[in-house]
Amino acid sequence: MAVFLQSLISGVLIGGVYALIGIGLTLIFGVMRVINFAHGDIMMVGMYLTYLLFTLMGVDPFVSVLISFPLMFFFGGFLQKVFINRVLNAVAQNQILLTIGLGLVMSNTVMLIFTSDYKILTTSYSSSTIQVGGGVSISTPLLVSFLITAVITAALGWFLLKTDTGQAIRATAQDRDAAQLMGINVSRMSVIAFGLGAALAGTAGALISPTYYIFPQVGGTFTLKAFVITVLGGMGSVVGATLGGILIGITESMSAVYISSGWKDVVVFVLFLLVLLFKPSGLMGKSRT
Amino acid sequence: MNKRMLKAAIGLIVLAGLLVVPRFVESPYALHMMILLFLSVSQGQSWNILGGYAGQYSVGHAAYFGVGAYTTMMLMYSKQVAPWVGVWAGVAAVIAVALVIGSICFRLRGPYFVLASIAVAEIMRLSAINLTTLTNGAEGILVTEIPAFKIGERVVTDFLTKVPFYYIGLFLALLTLAIAYWVQHSKLGYYFQAIREDQDAAHSLGIHISVYKNIGLVISAVLTSLAGSFYGIYVGFVDPPTVLGLDVSVQIMLICIIGGMGTIWGPVLGSLLLVPLSEALRSNMITEGLVKIGLVSADSKVGLFLKENLAHAHVLIYGILVVLVILFMPDGLMGFVKKLASRRKREAA
Repeated sequence: MAVFLQSLISGVLIGGVYALIGIGLTLIFGVMRVINFAHGDIMMVGMYLTYLLFTLMGVDPFVSVLISFPLMFFFGGFLQKVFINRVLNAVAQNQILLTIGLGLVMSNTVMLIFTSDYKILTTSYSSSTIQVGGGVSISTPLLVSFLITAVITAALGWFLLKTDTGQAIRATAQDRDAAQLMGINVSRMSVIAFGLGAALAGTAGALISPTYYIFPQVGGTFTLKAFVITVLGGMGSVVGATLGGILIGITESMSAVYISSGWKDVVVFVLFLLVLLFKPSGLMGKSRT
Repeated sequence: MNKRMLKAAIGLIVLAGLLVVPRFVESPYALHMMILLFLSVSQGQSWNILGGYAGQYSVGHAAYFGVGAYTTMMLMYSKQVAPWVGVWAGVAAVIAVALVIGSICFRLRGPYFVLASIAVAEIMRLSAINLTTLTNGAEGILVTEIPAFKIGERVVTDFLTKVPFYYIGLFLALLTLAIAYWVQHSKLGYYFQAIREDQDAAHSLGIHISVYKNIGLVISAVLTSLAGSFYGIYVGFVDPPTVLGLDVSVQIMLICIIGGMGTIWGPVLGSLLLVPLSEALRSNMITEGLVKIGLVSADSKVGLFLKENLAHAHVLIYGILVVLVILFMPDGLMGFVKKLASRRKREAA
């Protein structure tokens, strides 16, 4: 029972970070109908940013979120304005290829600068845990990152539901043409959405850097995970992505414990294929048209 | 002499030239480059049949490349099965895999198909890592000795030089070219193109969508598997990232996309650009060239940096090329060439 509870808790905690990555991807897809294959690589850039801030200036990874969030927002906005914006009306295949290309450029540029060595960001609390009784313990960095995730998700929810810009973004996602007719500056909303998506991915990168290896090719796995999460939750649904992230976190940690850690990603991908086959609209998505 | 005959004549001359190359070229490095070129053409062309003609963008072709390579190598390694027999076991395995993948993935369209194809290839890669008793796991399989190929008692080749690989590679490249040509000019090819242009319209015309998609997938997968087996035998080593990784899938499709999708010569053009480029980067030729023409000095900071790092940069160049091609030549090099040609024709008229 203790093992079960333990893996459930760590699944939920890591799932919170996955949710951030998924929300970013789903936001971009919702507003632009572009599947961002560079999403994991953007997260990787966030990880290296955190690493730099930590090693050069001694900024704590969790505090560095305050710096990396706006920086990554501008980075995302720049990517949208210079590259993605040109293919918004192109066939889906070209959009996918463009983002794959951008991802390759990012990961290989980082590799040229930092080499492909694994970097570890060791903080005083990297391996500290909190005992909750019953033989169950919680990793401190994971708990802190989950709390930060929860705050950010809540803030994002408030932004999307209550502010004018947020409502404009949601309107653009719902019907781009109608939103434009209503006088919403849809191209600006696209820049903001991509910026937010990149900022969320970068933040996720910052949050996992105390507990994860940092290397240039780390993005690929996370891009795939982000897809699984968004498809599971329903493409374009923020609530769905949050649920999907936590569900994938739990699935991973459960299958690592009860099957084997080597097969845990296979379990996730099989689950993904099953969802694609039997409920392609996902948990919270409306049916595809 | 009309245009068609001229084309055929040029084709025959090039072919004859390629056939006699090993008689005059002794440098193993030059032959190695040609073999890489043939391999790249057959990879790109195999992808082209499904991705270019039928419009099904698979980003998971590493699955077929890797399963072909692994089956042949595993049989050779643990059961001493000769590679020319093992290749067909690889083909059989790949057909089985392709039909399973097809029945799952072809229910999905557009981006969902792309995602499913990636997921399947990743499942294959992770399985190759985890099924250690079969595949040797992350260590990979190393087979350095290939048995001599005999007909009766006569030894046809003992695979000690690069020459037999040259001819096998050439044959493979020509085979994929011929099949692509046949696909383009047959009813099958028209069905593929109809599906690519508008799936619903094709369906309403009575084309059985899933049957034809699966036919396209099986042709493409079998050819990719042959290329994979050839790669495995030629290099003598396979491991999960080099034959099953996501990079492999991306590189296979890039050959075709940079060259031009849905055209016979696109993958050839793409290979002619990408293979020498990545080889030049890998062997540090570009840095040496820059030093030679005096742009950077060999022992300056920049020179040392380039020497150290440019060898790893070929994927970066791939990335930059893709971005440029998508933004400025969405139809690939072939589309660009055709546009230039038609402009010239118009100006002449």
